[in-house]
Amino acid sequence: MAHDFLSIYPANLLEYVLAVGYLLMFIPFWRYVQGGKAKEVAVRVAEPRAAARAAIRAPRPTAGWFQLPGGIHLHPGHTWARLENDGLVAVGIDDFAHKLVGPARVELPALGELVAQGEPALAMGDEDRTVPLLSPVDGTVVAVNAAARDGKNGIEDPYGAGWLFKVKAPRLAANLRQLLTDGPARHFVEDAGERLALRMSPEIAHVLQDGGAPIHGIAHALAGDDWEQLAREHFLT
Amino acid sequence: MASVQARAVAAPQSFVREKILLGMGLREYVRSCCTKGNAIAAAILVVGVPILIYRFIAGLGATTALSQTAPWGIWIGFDMMTGIALAAGGFTIGATVQIFGLEEYHPIERPAILTAFLGYVMAVIGLLADLGRPWNIVMALFNYGTASALFEVAWCVMCYTTVLLLEFTVPAFEWLGWKKLHAVMRKALIGLTVLSVMFSTMHQSALGSLFLLAPTKLHPLWYTPFIFVFFFISAIIAGISMVIVESMLSHRVFHSQVANHPVDIDKLTLGLGKAGALVMFAYFFLKLQGVIDGHAWGYLATGYGAWFLVETVGFGLVPALLYAYGSRNANVKLVRIGGVMGVLGIILNRLNVSVIAFNWNQPVRYVPSASEVIVSITLVTIGVLLFRWIVNRMPILREDPRFAETHH
Repeated sequence: MAHDFLSIYPANLLEYVLAVGYLLMFIPFWRYVQGGKAKEVAVRVAEPRAAARAAIRAPRPTAGWFQLPGGIHLHPGHTWARLENDGLVAVGIDDFAHKLVGPARVELPALGELVAQGEPALAMGDEDRTVPLLSPVDGTVVAVNAAARDGKNGIEDPYGAGWLFKVKAPRLAANLRQLLTDGPARHFVEDAGERLALRMSPEIAHVLQDGGAPIHGIAHALAGDDWEQLAREHFLT
Repeated sequence: MASVQARAVAAPQSFVREKILLGMGLREYVRSCCTKGNAIAAAILVVGVPILIYRFIAGLGATTALSQTAPWGIWIGFDMMTGIALAAGGFTIGATVQIFGLEEYHPIERPAILTAFLGYVMAVIGLLADLGRPWNIVMALFNYGTASALFEVAWCVMCYTTVLLLEFTVPAFEWLGWKKLHAVMRKALIGLTVLSVMFSTMHQSALGSLFLLAPTKLHPLWYTPFIFVFFFISAIIAGISMVIVESMLSHRVFHSQVANHPVDIDKLTLGLGKAGALVMFAYFFLKLQGVIDGHAWGYLATGYGAWFLVETVGFGLVPALLYAYGSRNANVKLVRIGGVMGVLGIILNRLNVSVIAFNWNQPVRYVPSASEVIVSITLVTIGVLLFRWIVNRMPILREDPRFAETHH
């Protein structure tokens, strides 16, 4: 008899076995479907636009003690984003962050990793401690600057050869609206510099500091062992 | 709107010429229509449309193989049920873009909504053709048979077709240049999308609920008290698969439109394949669970059992695995093959439930008449022709530069 109404026990057993079996199989299936190599189509890491390159080479406009070229979209956590010629977005840290932490190792996200604006995506620091920094845009990491990551002396030229990673940003317009450019960006970096100045000599406060570029590793100089705290305060992490 | 009318009045040729005749003169346009594809379509229409008209004159008995024991045929099974399932891409992609916020799928949102709209219109025509007294369909607006699953289907299909029409007005108003109305509809789009998900959930599953009334008529391998859940989940699968297939065909056929606005269809296809793999995987196990729940595993050894396995494993599990392998290894071709198989699987499922495995233990089985088959093909042809007409004129596959700033 094909249609067996009296087979309640076998039916229930089979149902439970199938349900449990399905759940057990679904987990590896999900991981299988979601995994796979990030689609790294040969990303032509193009030269930054000629204009951007000129801006980098030209004597940079400064924001107080720190350099800040044009064409840069600055995040309040001291990371920047720049739209490259090939449609990708280059991300790096600004001169302020570079000088604050000093020559340091950088830890970069992996290829294919998703980054979100305002979420920690990279870190810099020395052997014992690292400070996380926030990503300025949403997207998928498609290229990483191996030289910056593996170099012994950390990064040089934070806006040019010191770019850290490139992102494919689907929501670039929305992201850029949250970032600072030109005038507001310069004011922001100048303010950050002034806050540092206040720490240095609080009693003198707003005396004009002129002459002499700031040294590397300001955070170490100002706060010694607590440099990580100071850096995190500025990087909003 | 006034300015368009003024222009139309001042130069009566220019609106028709620009919008309808694609900028060509009448003779030029007619000459451009004389292609091989159009000849085939014309041949189909020339035969099919008179038969459809004859059906309304002479009745069901004269044109179909329907009878008291075979109350519905492929006009319901294929045109209505399959048409509605394959038109599910409208609400799946609409929800993906508007509700889940995955903006990268926006380029395939409008073609999906257009496919859904035309699919539903054709489904309704098929339904009207199948009804014994089609003029009584307006009574569904007044007789509130709320205990009836069919009442729910009628109302939800009516409401959803209206919602689709309103969603379709967004590109239509862009085409006409009616900026104010367009802005209003644009703002309403997310509300319309929410409504579309709601109505779709209800009627896609209600089409399955119809079979709850005839548990003995549907073969035990297909019948389960959960059939309405299966119909809803398979509608999502149908939507995803149909959008994969439709985007593949559209981008090939309308290549000239998309050439200047390169959309990474491959990446979107892979994304859809990923979603499809997971849903189809779950659906396969649900179908098995339905069989076990009905204690019907004994039937798997019969002829119908083999056919069931062809549908569930061959056109259910196999495309799921193709989707999984293809989307993981970025193999778009495999995902597309999976899409085609998924569409065929849904067609097979709906035909099985409504026609092939329905009344399976009757001595005399229903076989569609030639007229029914011709009319079904005609309705599909009309749908495709309308799709092509609209895509050639309206900003479906491409953006209208005048309205570019209002897009995300």
